[in-house]
Amino acid sequence: MRITVFDYGAGNLHSLVKALAGAGRDIRVEPDPAAAARTDLLVLPGVGSFASAAARLVPGRDAMRRALADGVPCLGICLGMQLMFDASDEGPGAGLGIFPGRVRRLRARRVPQIGWNDVTDATDPLFARAALRQAYYANSFVCAPDDPRAVIAWSAHETDRFPAAVRAGRVLGVQFHPEKSSEPGVCLIHEFVREEAA
Amino acid sequence: MVKGVRFRELRDIGDPVALAQAYERAGADEIVFLDISASIEERRTLLDVVRRTAEALFIPLTVGGGVRTADDIAAALRAGADKVSMNSAAVADVNLLTEAADRFGAQCVVASIDARREGDGWRAYTHGGSRATPLDALEWAECCTARGAGEILLTSIDRDGSREGYDLGLTRAVVERVSVPVVASGGAGGVADVVDVLRDGKADAALVAGIVHDGVCTVAEIKTGMANAGLRVRGT
Repeated sequence: MRITVFDYGAGNLHSLVKALAGAGRDIRVEPDPAAAARTDLLVLPGVGSFASAAARLVPGRDAMRRALADGVPCLGICLGMQLMFDASDEGPGAGLGIFPGRVRRLRARRVPQIGWNDVTDATDPLFARAALRQAYYANSFVCAPDDPRAVIAWSAHETDRFPAAVRAGRVLGVQFHPEKSSEPGVCLIHEFVREEAA
Repeated sequence: MVKGVRFRELRDIGDPVALAQAYERAGADEIVFLDISASIEERRTLLDVVRRTAEALFIPLTVGGGVRTADDIAAALRAGADKVSMNSAAVADVNLLTEAADRFGAQCVVASIDARREGDGWRAYTHGGSRATPLDALEWAECCTARGAGEILLTSIDRDGSREGYDLGLTRAVVERVSVPVVASGGAGGVADVVDVLRDGKADAALVAGIVHDGVCTVAEIKTGMANAGLRVRGT
């Protein structure tokens, strides 16, 4: 199975690539978004700002949207999850628009949120299988889907409750960093890949 | 609540990659590599250690020591650091924090502040605590966050290595002054000190080094102590 990590050029994909690795998996890091869309499973990592990542996405945006519509599984992490929405208050540019809605700033005294936080109200069995109850966050922005039924797990920073994860079929977005959330986080990645490879 | 394990002078602690992995397995929530005396050659070694660690570690990794420019920060992030801490370079030119936050995001910019008690307040120091600055530590902490730092790594020079407990007054004063996470460092002598700085010092996280490297207590014992004190602990 070919797994492709779209590299926006913002760096540090070491832990993520290592977390994705497994028997029979061919992991590629691909800076060209159109080429990245030709894969068995696409990963949108979580480093950088919305505007710069959206700009990098432009030449392959349609190819990626088509691939996801055709059923290519996709995991979006942090900024990668935010790129699955229409637009962001962080900066200009168009996301993939898989989930109708916008990305908004955290409403809290302490922004960015940096650290471990509880993940609650998980409805997707992925979370129980990974035994993921806490996860590591490093974000100033969160997603606000038009349809709250897309949300499969929640977290709260101070008093601001926000989606920890959204899912639409084979497309999964997580606001936290599973590749930095120790064993349960790595397990969540493996469970998703295994589920989608089946 | 998070707790980090800090590595100082990497050459002194055997294989840092294996040790970092062992601390993750023991329940550490974050790893901090800090080499205060890093020369250019040592920095290259540090980046190599960062690279090998990042491929084996699945908790956040903060790296500091010898960072002078935004390109140094880029190199550390590329090597696999999640956050980069800077002290002397930020004092020399506070614009470095702003430039780093603009280029890489505030979430990876850590202002490392070494503070020593002086009269009723605290003064900020650089160069591993050897050089006094004209800066009041609390004002400097506020300035760092205004200029882009997303986190403060706060070390009490008075307590560092003493094992007499963290400087709770300093920690609380900085926490009340800034709106970013504050990681307390310096002085841990045992489990109770970690509990004290998180509960009474109001720190967002506590760093330990010597007590776990030397086997005074284990990461697991610290986390059990925290849970028994009613603090939120990961994995429970």
